[in-house]
Amino acid sequence: MSSDTAPAITCRHVWQVFGPDSEPALAQALAQSGGDAAAAAVALRDKGLIPAVQDATFEVAEGELFVIMGLSGSGKSTLVRCISHLLDPTGGEIRIHGEDIVTASKQRLIELRRNKLGMVFQHFGLFPHMTVAQNVAYPLRVQGVKQAARRAKAQTVIDLVGLSGREDTYPRELSGGQRQRVGIARSLVADCEVWFLDEPFSALDPLIRRQLQDEFLQIRANLNTTIVFITHDINEALKLADRIAIMRDGRIVQIGTPTEIVLNPVDDYVREFAKDVARGRHARVASVMHSGDGGGHVRGPDDPGLRRNMTLDAALAKCMDLYEPVPVWDDSGMCVGTVHPAELAAALQVDEA
Amino acid sequence: MTTAADPVSAARARLTPGAQAALVTVLVGCVCLLLGPNLPWLTAWPAAWTAPATQWVGVGAEWFLNAIKPAARGFSEVLRFPMDWANFVLGATPWPLLVGGATALGWAIGGVRMAMLGFAGLSFVLASGYWAQSMNTLALVAVSVPLALLLGGAIGILANEFTRIRGAVQAMLDVMQTVPTFAYLTPLLLLFGFGPVVGLIASAIYAAPPMARNVMLGLERVDAEIKEAAVMSGGTRLQQLFQVEIPSAASQIMVGVNQCLMAALSMVIIAAVIGGFDDIGWEVLLTMRKAQFGQSLLAGLVIVAFAVIIDRMSAALALERRRYDPRVAYSLIGLAVVFTVVFWSHLPDPATFTLLDPLAAAVDHGLGAFTADNGARLDAIKNGAMFYGLLPLKIGLDDAVLDFTWGFQWTAAMSLALYALALVAGLLLALRERLTGGLLLVIAVGMLETGIANLPWPFVLTATAALAWVAQGRGFAAIATGLLLTILLSGLFERALLSLYLSGAAVFACALVGGCIGLLCAVSPLAWRIMRPICDMLQTIPLFVFLIPVLMFFQIGEFSAFLAICLYAVVPMIRYTRHGLISTPGEMIEAATASGATTWQTMRDVRAPYAAPTILLGLNQTILYAFAMLVIAALIGTTGLGQSIYLALGQADVGLGLSAGASMAVLALIADRLVQGFAEERRRALGL
Repeated sequence: MSSDTAPAITCRHVWQVFGPDSEPALAQALAQSGGDAAAAAVALRDKGLIPAVQDATFEVAEGELFVIMGLSGSGKSTLVRCISHLLDPTGGEIRIHGEDIVTASKQRLIELRRNKLGMVFQHFGLFPHMTVAQNVAYPLRVQGVKQAARRAKAQTVIDLVGLSGREDTYPRELSGGQRQRVGIARSLVADCEVWFLDEPFSALDPLIRRQLQDEFLQIRANLNTTIVFITHDINEALKLADRIAIMRDGRIVQIGTPTEIVLNPVDDYVREFAKDVARGRHARVASVMHSGDGGGHVRGPDDPGLRRNMTLDAALAKCMDLYEPVPVWDDSGMCVGTVHPAELAAALQVDEA
Repeated sequence: MTTAADPVSAARARLTPGAQAALVTVLVGCVCLLLGPNLPWLTAWPAAWTAPATQWVGVGAEWFLNAIKPAARGFSEVLRFPMDWANFVLGATPWPLLVGGATALGWAIGGVRMAMLGFAGLSFVLASGYWAQSMNTLALVAVSVPLALLLGGAIGILANEFTRIRGAVQAMLDVMQTVPTFAYLTPLLLLFGFGPVVGLIASAIYAAPPMARNVMLGLERVDAEIKEAAVMSGGTRLQQLFQVEIPSAASQIMVGVNQCLMAALSMVIIAAVIGGFDDIGWEVLLTMRKAQFGQSLLAGLVIVAFAVIIDRMSAALALERRRYDPRVAYSLIGLAVVFTVVFWSHLPDPATFTLLDPLAAAVDHGLGAFTADNGARLDAIKNGAMFYGLLPLKIGLDDAVLDFTWGFQWTAAMSLALYALALVAGLLLALRERLTGGLLLVIAVGMLETGIANLPWPFVLTATAALAWVAQGRGFAAIATGLLLTILLSGLFERALLSLYLSGAAVFACALVGGCIGLLCAVSPLAWRIMRPICDMLQTIPLFVFLIPVLMFFQIGEFSAFLAICLYAVVPMIRYTRHGLISTPGEMIEAATASGATTWQTMRDVRAPYAAPTILLGLNQTILYAFAMLVIAALIGTTGLGQSIYLALGQADVGLGLSAGASMAVLALIADRLVQGFAEERRRALGL
């Protein structure tokens, strides 16, 4: 299997257990439970060990923006540190572009980090004794790139994140939002292919956060990187993600697109999250329409023009005063189904169960 | 469920660990008291039971030292080059250049203030006439500090890299810090022979631990995300360490450099007691022995001048972010060069400066007049403190209360009455649900009646084990008992008790006085503004210099030693008490105020409990300071382990020096862990 058809990231049965002699303890617990992850986790806890990540299995496709969401202590930061190999996972298999990084040599890991991986930290992780430009250029410096070349390269990413003019200031002289721009610039300077962001905007004010989210999406549109993004904010996850993995107490409880998470939460935990969400802004018409039964529809003059990928809010605004099923069209103008305005309205309701 | 029916375990379950420990101690004390007259081996450890451990240690250490002597002598030859070189450079450089250089350095580090400090300090040294001796001292410091920095830095970095050895390194640093300074000197003397190299190496060894500690602490405190960012940038381990982690830890490491410099200076001066290198410490010692206190004070002030310059400049280096115009520094050096060249033939020999000699003479004269006028009063202070405070503590009320001091003779009936009183008071406390307090009262009275130096060894062992058990658990109790047993076996127990008595008395006085001053400073900003520079100064002055003023007024003797110890050891108590009391979270104060508490109620009910762990840490520091000073105070007449160490140095008796030094370290370590344990427990109780 050649590496370019492989998913960007593959995690199989990844465990991270903290505590003394965690590796044999995990093996023993799994053997006793016959591979049942939940039972093994209980056994480990009883021994005083902390199974911070339990049996995480998922794939991230090339170019995908994969968000891992959960409350603090749910193991999301631990999981991303396993993938970037800041932590050595206790068990399981992690591949990046098909290459097993759990067994990779130290030298190979350094190469990977220099050429392939980039990471942004919650509290920025800026080097206090270096200027903005030196911070950003540091990944090039460790590779032995010459001063002038790395300064030029650093300048391009500094411009990209909108910090032109602050090159020679020190991190302590910057605001939180500016500091995180430096962190983003530094993680991008070496042209990474896989980009890890560990709660990059959590430490920022709501206004600055939204601004940086928008800029992040813009930067992302121009890059072709695979992104693993950690957050505890469901709205941030829904806004940014292609797919979301929701973690609880070390386990991944659901993986799905934003619409799936909002409309079909697998359990009460996910439902609690979804409750706070304005569904109309995230769920699409396609998720509530009756597909296929619109064969005979011809687009009339008073047709509200619903499309499958419209958000519920937008769709409802167009057909609020109608009382019968409305056809839904796809991008090529074919009718793909119908939806009743009442169903649209019902889908917006938060169910108080 | 058999345990519930068992009355003994039921009673034990109701007693707190503190009460259990106190009860056992009281019982053992009673047994010793009752049987003591009939069984003399209970009160004093029989000489027949001691092993000639000091001799063994001596033989073993000498054999080992002799084995590595050739290597050591070779090393000392190697060190002689930089030493001679530093001596030559500092000695031969015309003084205007050095004064100008210090001023320029001060400017570069901290602007006008530091430049003034450098200029004034060195001018004072010049005017004192001790220029040559000072340069000898400085040369020693200049060579030993780089050695200590390298050694300490390497230890710190290695301990950081190899987590497995970190615990061992920490323990080693703890021991190195508690072994008294003099104790280093005896084996080094044997290894390297008389001469400045011993001072050099002793100060390098003594100054390395603070550097190592701060490097470890600094590297450990580097933000985890900064370390991770260095990893994710693709740095090799060496790149991470030297390009990111060490620069990020720079300010903590500079604190280490500052402490390293001060320790080196302090040790170089202490090392003067072995003599032979004509430095400023030797000058202090010499004039002190000749009772020329004016000259002695002058030489002492020269040391203080150096200490202040070195301390403030290196501290500024750790804090200062601003850079000062280097052109000013260059101009200052240029000015000094021009001055030197122009006045080359007229430059007076710094040894001929006697500008301050009249001052010294005046101090001598004034002091003579003062002691002549107030001799009776000074004696009264000294005798009062001795007869009514220190002596009863040392040998107990039954020996210390005599006709010609207290006005009456202590009798057996009085002892009985005292015990009865203590028992009644203890019972009353116990009935009021304060059993531990009652038991402690009985113990305290018993100790006061017997005297610390006369305490029976089973009692000391039990009490220590009981305290250790309460503070840190069974393991530490066993260790503490074992360590004390080694002191017993080596026959140093009596001397250890004498040391314990003097440092105990000093610590008690420091806790009382320092606590009150700390409290005052916490409530009154004005008091703190006055006390702060005093505290800074007391912590900068090398140990040795404390001896001069107390000697001036109270001559050689235990009381002078007591005062010197108190002067030095009171500072942490003041600082920590104040810090603990003022660092209560604002919300808690606001809550108390909103509940209607007065200032003093807030202080008593909110601030003091919150500050308890911090104050305990201050007490811990005070204890360690007291032990450190105890050995130095042996120079002016104390008994106990300090004296043994000092004697061993004079006789080059490695066995006695090492054993007494180790005993001292044992006492300090036990005290340190005990107080740390209690502080830790308080912190846990407060959820900190």
